[in-house]
Amino acid sequence: MSLTLLFKSLLQRKVITILLLIQLMLTLALVSNSILLSQQAYTLSNQPTGLQLETTLAIELKPTDENLIVHPALGELIQRQLAELRKINGVRYAAFTNQTPLMFGGMNGDVFVPDHAETSSVDAVPYNYAEAGLFDALQMTLLHGRWLSAEDKNTDNVVLTEKLANRLFGQSHLALGQQISAGTVVGVVADMMYQRFASDQYYGLFFNRDLSRADYGYRLILQVESQAVAAVRQQINQSLRQVEPEIDIQHIVSLRQLHRDVFEQERGLAILLSVLSALMLLVAMISAYSHALFHGVQQQNEIGIKRALGASKRRILLEVLSESWLTTGIGVTLGLLASFLLQQQLATVISLPALPLWLPFAGALMLLFCVTAATWYPAAIATRVSPATATKAL
Amino acid sequence: MDNLLHVFALAIRNIKRAPLPYLLTVLILSLGLGMFFSNATLYYWLNHDPLPHKSQTLFYPQINATLQPCDSCTEPLRVLSYQDVQKLSSSGIPSAQAAMFQSAGYARLPENTRQSPTPVALRITQRDFFTLFDVPFLHGERWADNSARRELILSKASAERFFGRTNVVGEALQLGNELYTITGVLDDWTMLPRLYDVANGLNSAQSADIYLPWETAYDLGIKSNTTTMSRDSRNYSDNFAVNGREGDFFQAQFWVQLDTADQVSAYRQFMQQLVQSEKEAGRHPRPEGNRLTNILDITEHFNARNRQLDAFALVSLLFLLVCLFNASHLSLNRYLASQYEFGLRRALGASRGQLQQLILADVAVNAAVALLLSLTVAMVAMALINHLLPATRNLTSWSPAMLFAMAATALAASYIVSLYPAIRASFGSLNRQLK
Repeated sequence: MSLTLLFKSLLQRKVITILLLIQLMLTLALVSNSILLSQQAYTLSNQPTGLQLETTLAIELKPTDENLIVHPALGELIQRQLAELRKINGVRYAAFTNQTPLMFGGMNGDVFVPDHAETSSVDAVPYNYAEAGLFDALQMTLLHGRWLSAEDKNTDNVVLTEKLANRLFGQSHLALGQQISAGTVVGVVADMMYQRFASDQYYGLFFNRDLSRADYGYRLILQVESQAVAAVRQQINQSLRQVEPEIDIQHIVSLRQLHRDVFEQERGLAILLSVLSALMLLVAMISAYSHALFHGVQQQNEIGIKRALGASKRRILLEVLSESWLTTGIGVTLGLLASFLLQQQLATVISLPALPLWLPFAGALMLLFCVTAATWYPAAIATRVSPATATKAL
Repeated sequence: MDNLLHVFALAIRNIKRAPLPYLLTVLILSLGLGMFFSNATLYYWLNHDPLPHKSQTLFYPQINATLQPCDSCTEPLRVLSYQDVQKLSSSGIPSAQAAMFQSAGYARLPENTRQSPTPVALRITQRDFFTLFDVPFLHGERWADNSARRELILSKASAERFFGRTNVVGEALQLGNELYTITGVLDDWTMLPRLYDVANGLNSAQSADIYLPWETAYDLGIKSNTTTMSRDSRNYSDNFAVNGREGDFFQAQFWVQLDTADQVSAYRQFMQQLVQSEKEAGRHPRPEGNRLTNILDITEHFNARNRQLDAFALVSLLFLLVCLFNASHLSLNRYLASQYEFGLRRALGASRGQLQQLILADVAVNAAVALLLSLTVAMVAMALINHLLPATRNLTSWSPAMLFAMAATALAASYIVSLYPAIRASFGSLNRQLK
C-alpha cells in the first residue's frame, strides 16, 4: 500500500479532507477534556469523608410556632423529639446540632490563637453547637483528649477536627489545653467533611451548647442500623408529628444523598460532557461511514479495474481502511494539540487539572476504533464490486 | 407562485430519491443546533439584561465599614449592616433606593388556626423596591413610607393559594404569630436573572411569595436566611430590634437608582465624604473600599457566574462547529452525487440563477426539518441539564423572539452547510459534469 498514493487520493478531495480533519481534531479535543473532567469529578466525590454516609440520617426541621423557636421551649422540644426517635427500631444514636456535615451554609466563624492572631487566623470555620450524643451519632473517632461531656454544657470548652488543630498548632496533640479565640481545646477528633466551600472542608469546631433560637431551624442526626435505614426513614415523620404537630420537617436525607448534592455541579458537567463526547463520536462515525460509502461508489470503476488486474478483496478492504486510518491519523495528531489548547481555555473558566499525555492518546485510540468500525461496512461493500460490472462502461 | 411550488416539489423529490444521505445530514445538523439551542437558552436567561430600559441606572453601593480593624482587608463585605444602609440612604441623591434581604416564614389565614401553616419565601424590603425593579401591582399599592407597619404585599400566586382569588387588599394574613393587613397584590412578575440577589447566588431562584417592610422585620427579629455575618460579640438571638440595628450584623443588599452621570458622580463623592467623616469619628478602622457596581456587572463583581454552564457553553459551541463541518461534508457528497442532474439542467438551458433557486428551496426545506428536529433535541438536552444541574430549572422557557432567533440560526446554518457544495455543483465545468 503506497502512502504517496493515499496522500494523492486525499489531495484530490482537498475540501472534504479538510472538513474531515477539522472535525476529527475537535472531536479528540472534546473527548480528551470530557474524560479529564469526569476523572476530576470522580476523584472529588471519592475523597474520604470520615462519615458513615449510608447509615447516618439528617433531619432538617423548624418549629412553625414562634413560641417554640426560643430556648427553653426549643431545648425541651428537641429533647422530646430525640427521645421519640430513639424509640424507633434500628435507631442506634440520635443527637441535635445546628448544622449538618456536607451541607452548604450554616454558622461559620473565624478562629485564631490569641497570642498569634495575625498568623494563625482561619476564616469561615463551621461552629457546631451540639450535645455529647453527637459523637456517637456521627460515629466520630477521638484522637486526643476527650469528647464533650455534660460538664461542658454551655461552657467555652471546644473540640477541634484534626486538620484545624494542625493548622492552628502545627501538630494536633499540641492543641490540648490551649486557648483559642472560641474557647479552650479539650479534644481533637478525626477529620470529617463539613462544608466544602469553607476555608477547608475538614475544618470543624464543636461546643456542648443549647440552641438559644432556631431562626434557621435545627438538625437531628440519627445513626441507624444499616439494614433498618429505609424503615426508620419512613417512621421519622410520624414520630416527630406525634411529639409536636407545629413543626416543618424540611428534609430527611441520608448523608449519602447530601454527599451527592455537594458534588452535583461537577458530576452534572462531567455527565453532560460525556453525553456530548458520545454524540461527537457518533457524528464522527456517521461522517466516516458516509465518506467511505460515497467514495466507494465514486471509485467503483477504479476498484473494478484493480480487481480485474488481480487485486484481492482483502487488498481492496485494506486500501479503503488505510485511507480512513490515514485521515484519522492526521486528524488525531492535530487533535492532540487541540486537546491541550481546549484544556487551557476550559481552565480559564473552571477549575481543571493539567491534561496527562496518556489521555489524548487513549482518546485517539478510541476515535480510531470508532472510525474503523464505521468504515468497515462501506469498505466491505467496495470489495464486492464485480470487475465485469465496474469495467463495463469503459 | 407555480415556480415556487415547482422548486419545493423538486427539493422534496430529491430527498425521496436519496433519503439516507439527506437524513444523516439533517440529523447531524439538528444534533449540533439542538445542543447549541439548549445551552444558548440557559445562557440567555442567566446573562440577559432583565431591565434593558433602566439597568444602566441601577447600582449596588458598598463601603468597607466593618468595625474590626484589619489593614489588609480592602474588600468590603458582600452584604451590609442596618447602620450601613442608614448611612448610604441619607444622601438624597438617588431617584429611588431600597434595602432588602431574603427570609422565610410560615403563613396561614387567621381563621385556620387548626391547619398547619404554609412555608413562604419572604423578601424584606422598602417601598422603592417595587419602583427600582419595575414590579407591577395587580391590586393595591406599595407602602406609604418606609416606617414599620403590619402590612404586607402578596405575590399573585400566593393570593390565589391562600384566598383563591387575587383581589385581597384589606384582608388579614397571619405570618408567624403576627397578623398583617394586605395592602397590595403583585401581578405576575419574574425577574430573570434575579440580579438584585446575586450576592447570595440566587440569580435563578423564584421571586418571593410575600414582601414585608424592612423596619417591621427588624422589630420582630426576622433575619436573612441566606448570608448573615456578625463582626462583634453582641448576642443577635436576643433583642434583635436593638442589636440588629446597632450592631455589626450584616445581612442586607442595598440598591440605588442613579438616573444621570451627574447623579452617579455625586453619589460616589457622597460615599467618599461619608467614609471620610466616619474615619474621623473613629467608626471606619479599615481601609477605604468603596464600590458602586452597576447591576449588569454585579454577577462578575460577586464572582457568581455559573462556571459549569460557561464551560458547557464553550464546548457546545465547538460541538456545533463540528456538526456544521460534518453536515457540510455530507452535503458536499450529496451535491456531488447530483452533479449530473445539475449539468443536465444547465445543458437544457437552465440559468445559474434558476439552479440557485433550486438550492435555496433545498436549504429552506432543510432548515425547516432541522429546526423541528433541533428543538426536540434541545428539549431533551434541557431536561437532562435540569436533572443534572437543578439550579437551572427556571431557565428553560422560550419566548417568541428566541424561537425566531433559533429559526434564523437554523436557516443560516442550513445555508452555510449548503453554500460551498451548491457552488461546486452549479458552477463546475458543464462538459465534465455531463461526461
